[in-house]
Amino acid sequence: MSGYRSSQSSNQGPPGLKQIDLDQIWGDLREGIEQVYNRQGMSKPRYIELYTHVYNYCTSVHQQMNSRQSSKSKKGQITGGAQLVGLELYKRLRDFLRNYLITLLKQGIDLMDEDVLQFYTRQWEEYQFSSKVLNGVCAYLNRHWVRRECEEGRKGIYEIYQLALVTWRDNLFKHLNRQVTNAVLKLIERERNGETINTRLVSGVINCYVELGLNEEDPGAKGQTLTVYKESFENLFLEDTERFYTRESSEFLRHNPVTEYMKKVEQRLQEEQKRVQVYLHQTTHERLAKTCERVLIEKHLDIFHAEFQNLLDSDKNVDLGRMYQLVARITNGLGELRNLLEIHIANQGLAAIDKCGDSAANDPKIYVNTILEVHKKYNALVLIAFNNDSGFVAALDKACGRFINTNSVTKAANSSSKSPELLAKYCDVLLKKSSKNPEEAELEDTLNQVMVVFKYIEDKDVYQKFYSKMLAKRLVQHMSASDDAEASMISKLKQACGFEYTSKLQRMFQDIGVSKDLNEHFRRHLTNSAEPLDIDFSIQVLSSGSWPFQQSFTFSLPTELERSVHRFTTFYSSQHSGRKLNWLYNMSKGELHTNCFKNRYTLQASTYQMAVLLQYNTSTSWTIQQLHESTQIKMDFLLQVIQILLKAKLLITNDDESELGSSSTIELFTGYKNKKLRVNINIPMKTELKIEQETTHKHIEEDRKLLIQAAIVRIMKMRKVLKHQQLVAEVLNQLSSRFKPRVHVIKKCIDILIEKEYLERTEGQKDTYSYLA
Amino acid sequence: MGDIEQDNSERADGENNKADKLFTLKKWNAVAMWSWDVECDTCAICRVQVMDACLRCQAESKKDFYEKQDCVVVWGECNHSFHYCCMSLWVKQNNRCPLCQQEWSIQRMGK
Repeated sequence: MSGYRSSQSSNQGPPGLKQIDLDQIWGDLREGIEQVYNRQGMSKPRYIELYTHVYNYCTSVHQQMNSRQSSKSKKGQITGGAQLVGLELYKRLRDFLRNYLITLLKQGIDLMDEDVLQFYTRQWEEYQFSSKVLNGVCAYLNRHWVRRECEEGRKGIYEIYQLALVTWRDNLFKHLNRQVTNAVLKLIERERNGETINTRLVSGVINCYVELGLNEEDPGAKGQTLTVYKESFENLFLEDTERFYTRESSEFLRHNPVTEYMKKVEQRLQEEQKRVQVYLHQTTHERLAKTCERVLIEKHLDIFHAEFQNLLDSDKNVDLGRMYQLVARITNGLGELRNLLEIHIANQGLAAIDKCGDSAANDPKIYVNTILEVHKKYNALVLIAFNNDSGFVAALDKACGRFINTNSVTKAANSSSKSPELLAKYCDVLLKKSSKNPEEAELEDTLNQVMVVFKYIEDKDVYQKFYSKMLAKRLVQHMSASDDAEASMISKLKQACGFEYTSKLQRMFQDIGVSKDLNEHFRRHLTNSAEPLDIDFSIQVLSSGSWPFQQSFTFSLPTELERSVHRFTTFYSSQHSGRKLNWLYNMSKGELHTNCFKNRYTLQASTYQMAVLLQYNTSTSWTIQQLHESTQIKMDFLLQVIQILLKAKLLITNDDESELGSSSTIELFTGYKNKKLRVNINIPMKTELKIEQETTHKHIEEDRKLLIQAAIVRIMKMRKVLKHQQLVAEVLNQLSSRFKPRVHVIKKCIDILIEKEYLERTEGQKDTYSYLA
Repeated sequence: MGDIEQDNSERADGENNKADKLFTLKKWNAVAMWSWDVECDTCAICRVQVMDACLRCQAESKKDFYEKQDCVVVWGECNHSFHYCCMSLWVKQNNRCPLCQQEWSIQRMGK
């Protein structure tokens, strides 16, 4: 449509449109442009004048233009609608720029190094500025003729500023860029060698190269393609960099230790980063960093690995941190460091425990603190030097798990359950009342430390057994240093292992509270009744099933105690119904006053000791057989009770103490003397302790079998049919939070379950079990 | 051992204070364990020891373990015993003792 109209209007030559020939304006316009490129000042009116020339030319109507158009149409080429004028002007501008640059090139072609840079950057800046001005002058041409040409898809037509760039590229850059780039690279190398350089020279060149990266496919698109920058500079620069650092790094390593080299590398990497910021294009950053890392670090990884061990050995944490930072830049570079760290920590742990010798096995405090010291040291290392990198944390954990569960102490004890046992004992030391109890805050802190070790314990069930045993003793004997600390420890364990792990501990704790109330009620009950007891009686009633106590055997209770038992039992059944009480005489204890010695002593004694001593109220001499008959205490047990009393020098015998028999006579020793008036003769008996240890370990084995069987049943109930290997793997996985079941025990448990008809071997299929509902 | 011989020589003057009993009991801290007075330790309904809370109560107290567990035992006229919680669910379906099939009636409750 519009094409038709414009051809019409040009035929008629409508009034108001002058026909202006290019030659009419070119003379003055050219003068103006020369003025611009000579960097002479220009007044605003002059600028407007030049602009008007272009405007007038572009808006005039030409015969010549018309004919061109029609000839093109004949060839069947698609042409736009409106007739826009500009090609002739465009050609003349192009020629002008070309001539200008050809002249310029003559000045620069023989220059080298810094001179060529001086020349190139200055000329570029001026040219760029002038071209921007020219672009402004030709704004009307750009807006109409150039745009139309571009829209019609003609190649090789640019806005005037871009035309200037293209012309620069083709006429100056093409001939000069090798010199210029070489000069830039030389300059950079000089800077790398420590000289101060004029960075403006470099950045000028870089700016130019960036600017020249025209998007020729789509001139209208914003931004540059950077092709010129990348091809003519970046690639060469990176090659140069690689060469430079390859030489430097091997040279430096030949004369300096690795630690110094790492400092150098760190410094170099920083320098290169800064280089990009100061005078290169930002996109170079990544490729440059990669190149440097490859040359400076990756190529020397072997040396780094070898040095890592040395640094660990000499605790050079700062250097370790530096090495981590460097190697972390390399993909998959840290794996070997992690392995080395893991091995190192495990060895340090083993060595530390070895060094303690026997004292570690006998003193839980030494044992746990030795472990903690190693952990603390390397935890700090991982945290600070290794940035708490998850891979290194895992290495620390693995190493700790290894040396805590298997070391010289556990090997000597021939069981991995030695560690949890010692840890539980350490807790007992901490939580038991003693003269050395720490402050509340300090204790809390220490308990947190205990939990650090606990985390690594494999046999958490063993810890639980020992812990509950010792907690029970502390509670029953009122030996807890602090209720708050006890509760805090239980809640920590619960957090770590879940409700089930601590439910019994919790229950024990509750029972003690309930017993306190019960005692008060009973005391009130006694004062209200007509006959009070003649001894000071108190009791703790524990719920069976939660406490790790053995039932005590019966014996003939002294009549003085029998009354108390009777009164309390009556009272208790009035409070509760459906319950029975089981008296734990081995846990009970009391006080006796003596009237037979020079001083009136108060003896703190076990119930059995009391029973034996009270026999001496009727006679001062008994044979063991007689004592056995009157007290009904089992013979082997009675012998131990008597031995302790002999040791305390309350009783004496004429026989050899180590070979007492039922006919030995035991007499009261009336010359008993002690500096203290309150004497504790209630020391635990050897066999009692030994039996306790043995049963604890035996129970652990039995409980584990039950846990394994339960796990097998759970798994099989879900899976119905499962291969042996998979079943074992799942059992191991399920129980890993408690302990590490041994495979042969799992096999045994499977056999037990087959016998009990929970499972059967699937017919016709090897190693496969199916669940029997 | 040497001490004992020395002690033996002093033995003679021991028997002066016979006025009071030689040893008098002053104080006794007893320890006892209570358990439900049942014939069978496990609840036949949930297969958990009657001393422990029944399965339901255990599951609930997992959410709030500070709640005191209050899962008592109940005895029927047949003398069989179960968790009270388990039995009260059981009788909704079948008012007979799961062990002996006698008509269920509560003899006593634990407290």
